[in-house]
This record gives sequence, structure tokens and C-alpha cells, in this order.
Amino acid sequence: MTLRFELKSAIAGAGDASGTNGARTGRLVLGRESDQSASAVTTDTTIDTPNYLKYTRHGLQPHMVREVAAELEGMPAATRVQLEDFLADEIPDYVKLGDGMHGFIGLDRSELLVLDTLDPTVPERTSKSSNTFMGVDSEGGTRRLTAEVFARLADQLKPDIVVPLADYVEEPHPSLTQGKRISKSVSRSCKWLEEYLSKRKHPAAVFAPVMGSLSTELRDISAKKLAALDEVAGYVFNDVSLDVAFEKKLQLVGHSLERLDASKPRYMAGASAPDSAVRAILRGIDLVDSSYPYAVTEQGFASTYVFGRSASDEEASTTSAGHVDLWQESMFSDFGPLVEGCECFTCRTHHRAYIHHLLMTKEMLSTVLLQIHNMHWYQRFFAAVRESLGRGQLEQDANRFLEHYCSDARDAAFGELETLGKQESSPTTKIQRKRHAEQHQ
Amino acid sequence: MTTTDEFDNLTTPLETSTSPALKFSVYSRCSTTKARASKMQLPHYTASTPMFMPVGTMGSIKGITTRQLEALDCHVILGNTYHLGSRPGPELLEKAGGLHKFMAWDRGMLTDSGGFQMVSLLKLANITEEGVEFENPHDGKMMMLTPEMSIGLQNSIGADIMMQLDDVVSSLTTGPRVEEAMWRSVRWLDRSMQAHKRPTEQNLFPIVQGGLDERLRTLSATELVKRNAPGYAIGGLSGGEAKGAFWRMVSLSTDILPTNKPRYCMGVGYAEDLVVCSALGVDMYDCVFPTRTARFGNALVRTGSLALKQGRFKDDMDPIDRDCDCPTCKTYSRAYLHTTVTKDTTGCHLITVHNIAFQMRLMRDIRRAIIEDRFPSFIREFMQTRFGKTVPRWVVEALQSVGVDLTVADEKGGYAATAIDEDFQKTPNV
Repeated sequence: MTLRFELKSAIAGAGDASGTNGARTGRLVLGRESDQSASAVTTDTTIDTPNYLKYTRHGLQPHMVREVAAELEGMPAATRVQLEDFLADEIPDYVKLGDGMHGFIGLDRSELLVLDTLDPTVPERTSKSSNTFMGVDSEGGTRRLTAEVFARLADQLKPDIVVPLADYVEEPHPSLTQGKRISKSVSRSCKWLEEYLSKRKHPAAVFAPVMGSLSTELRDISAKKLAALDEVAGYVFNDVSLDVAFEKKLQLVGHSLERLDASKPRYMAGASAPDSAVRAILRGIDLVDSSYPYAVTEQGFASTYVFGRSASDEEASTTSAGHVDLWQESMFSDFGPLVEGCECFTCRTHHRAYIHHLLMTKEMLSTVLLQIHNMHWYQRFFAAVRESLGRGQLEQDANRFLEHYCSDARDAAFGELETLGKQESSPTTKIQRKRHAEQHQ
Repeated sequence: MTTTDEFDNLTTPLETSTSPALKFSVYSRCSTTKARASKMQLPHYTASTPMFMPVGTMGSIKGITTRQLEALDCHVILGNTYHLGSRPGPELLEKAGGLHKFMAWDRGMLTDSGGFQMVSLLKLANITEEGVEFENPHDGKMMMLTPEMSIGLQNSIGADIMMQLDDVVSSLTTGPRVEEAMWRSVRWLDRSMQAHKRPTEQNLFPIVQGGLDERLRTLSATELVKRNAPGYAIGGLSGGEAKGAFWRMVSLSTDILPTNKPRYCMGVGYAEDLVVCSALGVDMYDCVFPTRTARFGNALVRTGSLALKQGRFKDDMDPIDRDCDCPTCKTYSRAYLHTTVTKDTTGCHLITVHNIAFQMRLMRDIRRAIIEDRFPSFIREFMQTRFGKTVPRWVVEALQSVGVDLTVADEKGGYAATAIDEDFQKTPNV
């Protein structure tokens, strides 16, 4: 199994002549030898970047079982799974999984599987880590994940890409001057990475978390360490707990990128919303994840945002909210599709009135159908971003996009992920219904 | 899912009945029991019976797309008139062109009358000759559901089969109230037939009532048969009565109802009930149980049910059922399902898909066994798998009544069971 990243083109970012910090297109190619070793046939899985990793819960995309997800076309063949979803029963022993995580969660072998530790949609964490383990909250209690256990599980689960265990700073506002939380985080993460690399047997490509939080000095230390390691094939920015403006986060990421190998792919968690994603892509990020469409679905919304070339025609017909709210009373007798002209299964098959009815009656099919549409829409957005990049128009298109959807503070789009953190789950929960009832009183 | 139709080699029906919106053709009869395998041609679909109809109360089967339902080989699904009548309401459904179009389902559909929910969900229901009077849960005002209104609602919904409003009494009720309800149900049927506006597009099924009283059941069935309906339902059962009384009422009803018309036993869905009632000559069933129990993480198997939440499944790499060809069993282990059931909606969907597939496969197996005239041996195998050596007495007696004696080993010399007094299986037979 080999993973390579082919950088096709890079455009210089703001104030950066080297191209390190600018938007770029590339492809991630996974070569896998087939089982018949004699013929040594390799089948390649290719993911054009910028793109997203499919966000999952317990290894499945939210609300969509395999045969439902199969209704979607053009999805990148890359899935991210977080280990914490599988820790409810004590640290499991997956030794029986001859086939690894792919077989366990029903993923096609051709699909690129990224194993991370934590769910990127959960910004607030309470469990603490120590010098030797990461504390992970699960339904069954706090699990102590050591680098050794992590290496054993990663060996058994056989992911294509692994994001090794790191000591993420759980504080939303870590102090730069008092305490040593950030410096501990950097040194522990370095140590755990080395331990993982020395203990592991399964040769997954390593996408290493870039640490350092708010401290540029410590970010330098982390980046230099990672840049020196041959085994590191890509970089991950996982600062989802950090509560600073997104622009500030991008500056911190940019600071690290200048000290890292520009030829390697970069994944940023917490940059899933379209406005965040496009801004991150402009700063040289290659991969985000699809937690955003899930958050849209959980609100009972259907995405309508449009990017790039087709935007000028379609923008006029969509609001700057970037979505339609299917809870609205006006949906009651609206027999139109979620979005006129949309080719997703939901829009081809069902109308707004039905989805509204399913939400009002707390039927689980509501989120299934919305998720299909929202994932289709997310995929369409990334295709448009790559197309715009190819035309050399990304910056202009991005500016127009952000101007249209994000300039009106009252009706600002793309805030669904922030709401997700505070709500229970799906639109069928009582909390959601209460919110709805209050709105309509 | 299997695409071969067990009726493929049968060309001439043994008997048929034809109504404006339904053609029922019995293709095969079991030479021992009262079971039969038939085709029921409805305005939207031709269904194979005996069949199980999953319940989609609000116009969807819990989290499952209509495309999945087709792939699962569902022929007819059920909608609840009381629920659909309040949300989204008959005006919108009419505007949408009926529930079929509203939910994008183009196969068969059946709606109940709404009366059962009136009585079971609403505390202040009061039944008069006019109809069911109840307090509207939304505004507290007293409202009335009459037989005419129920049919009006069901005409708006547009299902292939509608049910008459009946005067439902608990199957545990005794005394003159049962007889009153039985006769009133007959009168309400006549009013329903009068009110039915779409007889060429929709079928109206009467419901046999009469509690657990043989005389009243007989009277009811006899009265209803005179109305020459396209099919008949057996109602007022599955309400907590002893199973010994249940099967006797079912069997008594099928003895009176015409052999060339479909019989529908309402609210039945446990596997052993489906096998026994099919042997007693029932063709159609519905029950919320398979989809409801899925939401609690319980997967149906021939031996009973697996509570996948239990710790004993956390390292179990077998599928729910090796012999099941549903998408869940083809892909996932019990260990995987254990991690996700009752946590994610997908965990629920995976079990729901399996449980529907389980019901559909059981019914296909029943049909095939009838057509190949080996239904009695199918029954023996099924009961051996499900119960082992001890079988509930009601099952033994019901089957004895149609010529299958589980207490005596058959000519193959294998299985013989002892009857026990429990009505239900307490633990899975593993």
C-alpha cells in the first residue's frame, strides 16, 4: 500500500511568495496491491484536492446506511473515522478483525480510510490527559488511551492514513503567559508520535497533528519536529477546541505551514463550513471534512449555497442564509423540490411538503432525506471550488461568495456547526422542537 | 433480495374473486392445513399472500426510503388514518394527489379506520351510535369521528385498501357491551359502504368483531359475508387476550369467510403467530413490532430476538443471521451493530432493514412451502428452531386443529414437542 500526493499547481497566497500559503490543487493517490500477489496488480484510488473526508459516526455517514449513501454520486472515496466512537466498552481488542476497520464498518476496500482519535464536531472536552495517556470520554466512562494502545488498535484496524494520538489542548482560551499547558501538549504529542512510530507494525501513512495552539514559538517547535520526520506524510490541524476567530486560527495554521514541507497534504478539522473551507483552501489547506452538511441536516435545513461560475445565475434565487428551513410553515403545502433543478435522490423523489411533514411528525426519514441532499450539495460546492481554482478565479469567486453569504451579520450563513455543539441531536429531539415552537409563537 | 417469484410456475388459479378494485386469485392450497398462497391484484400493485405489511404510521416506515422498501420486497405498507388525518390532514393529502404521491410510494397501501387510535390513545373517547366522540388533544374541544368521516379521510388518503370504522372493545371485555359493539360495527359498515366515494379505486374491508364469544363472532362473520366485500379483516384481537382464545377466534372466522377472498388478521406480527395464523387460513398481517423493537436494538431471528445492546455481542463477529440476505447481514457483524444500536440513527436503520427483511423472508418461505405442498414440514422445522422441545400449548392446539400434531414425531421420525402453558417464548432458543 502506497500513498502519494501529487501537487498540481499552487497559487501564491497573500504576502507569501513561496506558494506555501496559497491555494493549490493536487491529488491524493492510494495504490493498493490486490490480494493476488503474483500478478502484483495495483488499483489506485484518487482524490482530487481540495476536497473533504467523509465525516462518520461509528464509521457510517450520519443518517445514511450504505445503500442510501450509494444514491450519491461523485463523492470522494475518502472516509474519516474517529477511534473514540468505538471505546464505549473499555479499550476494545479488535484482534478478530482480520479485515481491519474497512470490513468492520462495511467500507469498500477501494475507499481511503483515515483513522483519527476525536470527533471534530465536539469542541468541548472535559476529560484530562496525562503524560502517558489521552483521556477520552465515552458512554462507558473515561478511557485512557496510551500511545502503545493506540498503536495496537491502529495496527488491528489497518487504516490507510492514521492521525496519531496527540495531546490536544482542551482549554478554549489557553494562557500564553501562565501555566505550561501548551508546552506540555507539544512535548507529549512529540513523545507519543515517536512511541507510535516505534511500536506500530501496520504501515499506514502518517498524517501528524501540528501542535502549539496559540503559541507561535511552540508551533515552531512542533512544526520543526514534524518536518524532520520522514515517516510523516501529511499534516493535520486539529485545534477544534480553540475558541478564537477563524482568521486567527488561519494565521496560526499559516505560521506552521511556513515551517513544514509544502509538498505534503494538509487536513484541517473545524473548517468544514463552506465559508471556513474556502478561506482555509485559500491559505493552502487541501482537505477538510463533511461535518458541516450533517450540522445543516440536524437543524432541519436544506443547503442552497452556490459557488463559482454558476453562482451568478443561481444566487438571485437563493437567500444569503445559504439554506432553506424546512420547519417553516410555508413549507406545509410546498410541492417543489428542496432546490429547483437539484439532481439528488431527495429532490428527484420528494417535495418540501413531505420533508416538512416528516420533521413535524418526528419521523427519522426527515434527516435521511435531508442528509442526502446536503451531502450532494457539499460535493457540488467542492467541485465548483476546484473548477474555480483551475480557472485561476478562486480568490475572486471566494470574495464574491463570502460577500454574498457572510456580509450580513443578522442573516449570516454557515453557523450550523456552532448550533450543533449545543443541541442534543437530530431535529426529532424535544430540544429542537422546543426551539421551533418558540420561534413560531 | 430474491427476485424469483414463488408463483412463477403456477398459471391457473384454483379460485378467484373479482371486485372493481381487487382481484384475488388462490393459486395453491396446503393439502393438510387451511393455508393458501395467493395473488392479490390491487390498483397500485399485485401482492403475494400470505404477506406481512410494515406499518408506516405517519407516511414513512421509520427512517427507511421507499427505494429501500422496494428492495426489501415490501408489497403493501400500512398508514394510520388518525395520525395522517391530523397531520398533514386530508386537504393537503388531496392536494398532493393522495398519500402514495405524497410519500412517493407506488406499491400497495392499506389504511386503518382511525377508530383504534381514538380508543387507545385518547382517554376521553365516548362511543355513541353516531360515532366516536373524543376530546381533540390540540384544543380540548369535543369532536366526533363517524363512519362517514373515517371513509372520507381514507378516500382522501387514497390507499388501495381501507378499513371500516368499527366499535372497538377491548378483547378482555365481556357481557352485553361486546354484542352491542358487534352489531353496531355491522351498522357502521353499512354506513361506510354508503359513504365510500371511490369504489373503483379503493377497497373497503369490513372487520369481524364479537370479542372472544364464539356465537357473536359467528354472527358477525355471517352478517359481513352478506355484504359481499372484496376482502375481510379479523379484528378485536391481539389485545392481551389469552392466546388460546385468540387462535380459536381466528380459526372460527376463517371457517366462515369466503375462501376466494383475502382475510386480514389485524395487529399480528410475531413470527410464530404468522406461521400459525397462515395455517388457519389468514392472508394478511400488520404489526408495529418489527420496526419498533428495532429502535431498541433488537434484531429478529428465527429463534427469537437478539438484544444487540448486550455486552455478550461485543466480540461476536457473526452477522445477525447467516442465512439472511439483507444489506445489514451481508455487511455487518453483531459486534459492529453492538457499537451503534440505540446511539446513531444509522444503527436503528440497520436493524429496521434487517427486521423488515426477516418478516418478508418468513412470509416468502411460508408461501413457497405452501406452493410446494410441504407447509406442515415447514411448520415443524420452524417450531423446532423457535421453541425446541417445548412449544406453547396454544401453538400445539391451533396446529392440531388443522392436522399438524407437533407432539407426535412425523414420518421422518425427527421432531416431537411437549406443550407448555406459557403463551410466549421467554428467552431465545439458542
